[in-house]
Amino acid sequence: MIIEHIDAQLPGTITDRHAFRGDQTIVVAKATFLAVVELLHREGFQLLVDITAVDWPERAEQGIGRFDVVYHWLNLANQERLRLKVTVADGETMPTLTGTFKTANWFEREVFDLFGIRFEGHPDMRRLVTWDDFPGHPLRKDFPLDGGDAFCMEGCTAPYNHGSRE
Amino acid sequence: MAELDINDAVVTTRLDAVVNWGRKNSLWPLPFGTACCAIEFMSMAASKYDLARFGAEAMRFSPRQSDMMLILGTITNKMAPVLRTIYAQMAEPKWVVSVGVCASSGGIYRTYATLQGVDRVIPVDVYVPGCPPRPESILYGIMKLQEKIEKESMSMRKDHIARFYESLARQETIQAEQGLTGQQAIRTMLTGAAERGVGTIF
Amino acid sequence: MAHPASPFLSVLILLLVAAVTAIAILVLSGWVLPLLKPNNPQTAKLRPYECGVAPLQVGARHKYSVKFYLTAMLFILFDVEAAFLLPWAVNYRHALWTFGAMLSFMATLLVGFIYAWGKGAFEWER
Repeated sequence: MIIEHIDAQLPGTITDRHAFRGDQTIVVAKATFLAVVELLHREGFQLLVDITAVDWPERAEQGIGRFDVVYHWLNLANQERLRLKVTVADGETMPTLTGTFKTANWFEREVFDLFGIRFEGHPDMRRLVTWDDFPGHPLRKDFPLDGGDAFCMEGCTAPYNHGSRE
Repeated sequence: MAELDINDAVVTTRLDAVVNWGRKNSLWPLPFGTACCAIEFMSMAASKYDLARFGAEAMRFSPRQSDMMLILGTITNKMAPVLRTIYAQMAEPKWVVSVGVCASSGGIYRTYATLQGVDRVIPVDVYVPGCPPRPESILYGIMKLQEKIEKESMSMRKDHIARFYESLARQETIQAEQGLTGQQAIRTMLTGAAERGVGTIF
Repeated sequence: MAHPASPFLSVLILLLVAAVTAIAILVLSGWVLPLLKPNNPQTAKLRPYECGVAPLQVGARHKYSVKFYLTAMLFILFDVEAAFLLPWAVNYRHALWTFGAMLSFMATLLVGFIYAWGKGAFEWER
């Protein structure tokens, strides 16, 4: 339903769409993103449920944007949900939604922390779940799962081996 | 290296026996509960499994007022300096029971976020495996700690505690000199320890 | 015994028991306990407990307004005056001559009261 509204009022903004077992997803370009969000807000999609991102490193080689920033909305009036994806490249920034959606504040901090995508206009752009000087962005595909260093200590001893490597 | 270095010939005197009896039967826990193991701890403390009959009913969530820290749940790398500070602020005699596999070894979380065993940053006396351990297991772990306390002597040196405080001082020096957060300082120390082939930073 | 036990015998026993208990506690905690307890003062151990994080502000002591102290002090003074007034009032009819003595006592305190009033000690909002 909302997709028809978007098509009617902002034709051409949806570059891709799919639906699966009742949920609906649209892909929007970054340039038209804010216009679509404003429309959604007017149409009653006022609960921003989540912002997250997905890293597709192979797309970077093809020259397409590496990250998909994914937004989820819920329309409390008619219980309709919408997923919106925007493709961004490494180093590119997204506009912030903290003006209209207060929850975007921490969600965007989390995305920055875990993926390194900055949000322009965010009042407090700093890490949320890792610590201030954490090296890297953990949910990128090129970040090693175990932190890559002494945390997991591949090949190192258990503490009670008195330092021996057996 | 992190093991309690008990001198081979520790002679416990009658006085030691009395003091240890008092200490082991009045272990006031500091439940450092972060995750699911804390729920099992709660049922252990409730009436069915009943921790109170071991004298450990007084849960004191302050390090100043407790003598046994029960680490119940996953400890993340972000939490590590907090854990160290709280352990540092406990008054001696103090013991640590690492409950559950997350606290003992990182558990199923072999990731960048989880501390792979609390014994990397804190001296531990008893490990209780399980995910989560049944309340009886945690109780058994506390009983094992009681057995350990029985064998202690007041004349015994507690090297691990001294080394812990030294490592805390080193951590603070690294933090001050290099302008790092506690977590990064611990990470640096862990890397250094790994290069020496040692699993702990104290 | 030639005379019956004094009615205050039980008080004496209580006094002795209390004294022995108090002295025992003091001796045990002052001389015996230091031999038994572990003694390991460390800087990190002595820092104020703030749930394990670094202290968020330099000192936890807020600026405490002195007016509370002033109010309490004035209260004590005039409450003690009232405490003296009550037994006098009860026995006054048997000693009417004490009127002058009490009057001079109250006059002394009245001078202090006027002084405090004039100095603004009763102003809560300053």
